[in-house]
Amino acid sequence: MAAGIGYALVALGPSLSLFISVVSKKPFLILTLLSSTLVWLVSLIILSGLWRPFLPLKANVWWPYALLVISSVCFQEGLRFLFWKVYKSLEDVLDSFADRISRPRLFLTDKMQIALAGGLGHGVAHAVFFCLSLLTPAFGPATFYVDRCSKVPFFLVSAIIALAFVTIHTFSMVIAFEGYAIGNKVDQVIVPVIHLAAGMLTLVNFASEGCVIGVPLLYVLASLTLVHCGKMVWQRLIESRNQSSPSL
Amino acid sequence: MEMGLIRLVAIAFTLVLVSILPLHVSLAGEITSIESVPDLQKLMYVAVDGYPCVRLLNLSGEIGCANPGLKKVVAPIILLKDVKDLEQPHTILVTADEMEDFFSRVSNDLSFASKVGGVLVDSGSSFQQKLKGFSPDKKFPQAQFSPYANVEYKWNPAASSIMWKAYNFPVYLLSESGVSTVREFLPKKKMNHKTYTSDVAEFNMVMETTKAGTHNSEACLQEGTCLPLGGYSVWSSLPPINVSSSNNHKPIVLTVASMDSASFFRDKSFGADSPISGLVALLGAVDALSRVDGFSNLKKQLVFLVLTGETWGYLGSRRFLHELDLHSDAVAGLSNTQIETVLEIGSVGKGLSGGMNTFFAHKTRDSSVTNMTLDALKIAQDSLASKNVKILPADITNPGIPPSSLMAFMRKNPQTSAVVLEDFDSKFVNKCYHSHLDDLSNINSSSVVAAASIVARTLYILASDSKDTSSSALGSIHVNASFVEELLTCLLACEPGLSCDLVKDYISPTNTCPGNYAGVILGEPSSKPYLGYVGDVSRFLWNFLADRTSVQKGNTASVCSKGVCSKPGEVCIKAESNKEGTCVVSTTRYVPAYSTRLKYANEAWTILPENSSDSMGMVDPVWTESNWNTIKVHVYTVQHSVYDNAVLVGGIAVTTVAYIGILVAKSFITKALKQD
Repeated sequence: MAAGIGYALVALGPSLSLFISVVSKKPFLILTLLSSTLVWLVSLIILSGLWRPFLPLKANVWWPYALLVISSVCFQEGLRFLFWKVYKSLEDVLDSFADRISRPRLFLTDKMQIALAGGLGHGVAHAVFFCLSLLTPAFGPATFYVDRCSKVPFFLVSAIIALAFVTIHTFSMVIAFEGYAIGNKVDQVIVPVIHLAAGMLTLVNFASEGCVIGVPLLYVLASLTLVHCGKMVWQRLIESRNQSSPSL
Repeated sequence: MEMGLIRLVAIAFTLVLVSILPLHVSLAGEITSIESVPDLQKLMYVAVDGYPCVRLLNLSGEIGCANPGLKKVVAPIILLKDVKDLEQPHTILVTADEMEDFFSRVSNDLSFASKVGGVLVDSGSSFQQKLKGFSPDKKFPQAQFSPYANVEYKWNPAASSIMWKAYNFPVYLLSESGVSTVREFLPKKKMNHKTYTSDVAEFNMVMETTKAGTHNSEACLQEGTCLPLGGYSVWSSLPPINVSSSNNHKPIVLTVASMDSASFFRDKSFGADSPISGLVALLGAVDALSRVDGFSNLKKQLVFLVLTGETWGYLGSRRFLHELDLHSDAVAGLSNTQIETVLEIGSVGKGLSGGMNTFFAHKTRDSSVTNMTLDALKIAQDSLASKNVKILPADITNPGIPPSSLMAFMRKNPQTSAVVLEDFDSKFVNKCYHSHLDDLSNINSSSVVAAASIVARTLYILASDSKDTSSSALGSIHVNASFVEELLTCLLACEPGLSCDLVKDYISPTNTCPGNYAGVILGEPSSKPYLGYVGDVSRFLWNFLADRTSVQKGNTASVCSKGVCSKPGEVCIKAESNKEGTCVVSTTRYVPAYSTRLKYANEAWTILPENSSDSMGMVDPVWTESNWNTIKVHVYTVQHSVYDNAVLVGGIAVTTVAYIGILVAKSFITKALKQD
């Protein structure tokens, strides 16, 4: 029981912290989070539906799995762009509404928080779909070790990987939204690349004891995402502050 | 900016490449595909296949095995040779050779017994045990029913008596697949996580009598937490008896065999030599005699009786004799006074030695009738063309007849003139008497065929009451050896087991593996029981004997549905596998087999007080089996609680660190925005 709760916290604890400290303060963010989680869960369900006829994949070859990862990443990245388009029209509606009732429009920080909530929704959807759904047996007395990653219990590896992906998805959304908003090609390209790289890295786990290499590399990617997002946010905030008070 | 982009893209692509490169080397080995959460659970909690030892009760207490309480027993697995100074109860993995010594040690050493949480018996490589012999029964099985005083005589020298003791832990015999499951599981222990995990076995063998606190037969029958052992014996007469006719007084030659065995493990007791070889020999003889014409012209009537419950206090024979006294429906057409001679076929599977099949005729007492039987055996022996059968009289230094149904017949009526045919003289040659090792490999089919041939011809000689050795009819009696061999694989092996063609021709079996354990008697005992409560073997015997002893009136065999035949004296056979059976004229009946100390009334069993006129009832333990819901064993890996708690603490730590990090980032951002 204790272990089960522990695994759930490892995967979703930081999301919970983010929710409590940022999202829960603004009802609109909660709505964004919920709808985002729903959209991305549906996307994963559609993907599994599309791939269902091809199951079971050939066991000892890696390329069907690579194909699966590539197609899924492409689908999700396409969906991300659509997601941003929907958000943009919503932003225009909100801005015009704000104009009509003589209230300030959305600040940069507001837009970034919405993007963060959207990304968090994507991360939570991933964690639920890939980790939480498998976690029920972990609440029983037994544990489980997989031959190819024999040092760590299966549930722990699953939770750790889920945490990495939550981080990647949450902050990728912020980068992506800013990239689409101001037309920055770097930001627009880097998000799909990181997503694809992360997906392909999970294939390393197929190797015997591959998780020893795969999981730390995944965390390198996650930290990369975090750092890039932090730098981008800092730059944009400094720019916007300089814009709002041009010369002192 | 451009440098940043190039740098980032370069890193990302390197990572992608790195991910693909090692894979060319790596994908050896199988992937157990987990397709759903239930699949994952099945891989985590591995079900182990095997045979349990269950709780049996008698008037004075309990024997057998069960979970000590109401909960599942979970204990770490350890090999017997590694057992040293255990602190908590463990699951001991015992090999077949160590079994006898282990259980003797458990009964004698209480401190050792307290360390035993559960036992898994590895049945692999038991040839050593088969050579040495392993019999969990007593040295003189059922000595309390013996008609003679010498109860210390050792008929079964390989005996250890371990099945008659009570154990306060579950015991499970692993089947072949169970052994490989456990063996595959254990080596994983050698991996890196050995220090903080342990492999445990979980036993779910809770017995209702433990739950209800009823620890002897009387209490548990009152509470309804157990059922009495018993079943349905079958008898059939050749030719059919016309019950309504009053001049039906031919003397009867009764041939007896048993159909039930027992062992330490409830569901693995084939009883190949003792007593199924005798049963198959009887069926082979019936089959041979069914092809002989003119039985109705012979001087005596043949009756074949197959008893069940003999292992548990001669329940079948005692109840049969009791029913004869009561002149009940179950034995309509028979009477005590008509039975002139009894021939029992005991263990006849191990008579082959050096190309010669030798059997010993043990007689109950010296009398003209037993001498007649012995003479008939001699004539039959000489008449066989193959000359590979020898019948020898039993050693006169034996204290009396060996443990057999005749002991019950003798106790009831000391004047019984009877002979039991066995493959041993002064001591059992079956070194695995009443053990799970008494299987098809323990007997020789040619020995059974030889016994069947002798019995068939002996019965013909007895029935015709003539010493005419050159009778052509005698020479025409041949036992179908392939029939006997097929029947042996049906009753003594799991493949084909009871789904063999021979059995499926007559009944639809509920189990494939024949468990020749008598089991419990279900429902109200009657001569026309509800067939769902009658065991597979009993139903097969009833249908088979009815078919073989039947007389076809003309060539018109009418069909019957719902088991009802219109003409008197007719029974409906083969009504299970085909919906419509066939009506044949036959006298074949079920006789319930249960203790004479029990009475069924108002849908419950009660124990009758001791009755001095029923001397066997006075020493009858009145065996019952506890009810149980489910019996399952699983093995899985458990993490030590320290590790579990470490994971929980880790999860909380990750959450807290993330929270702090977010607060720090928020304060940075607010500072950045407010810097004016």
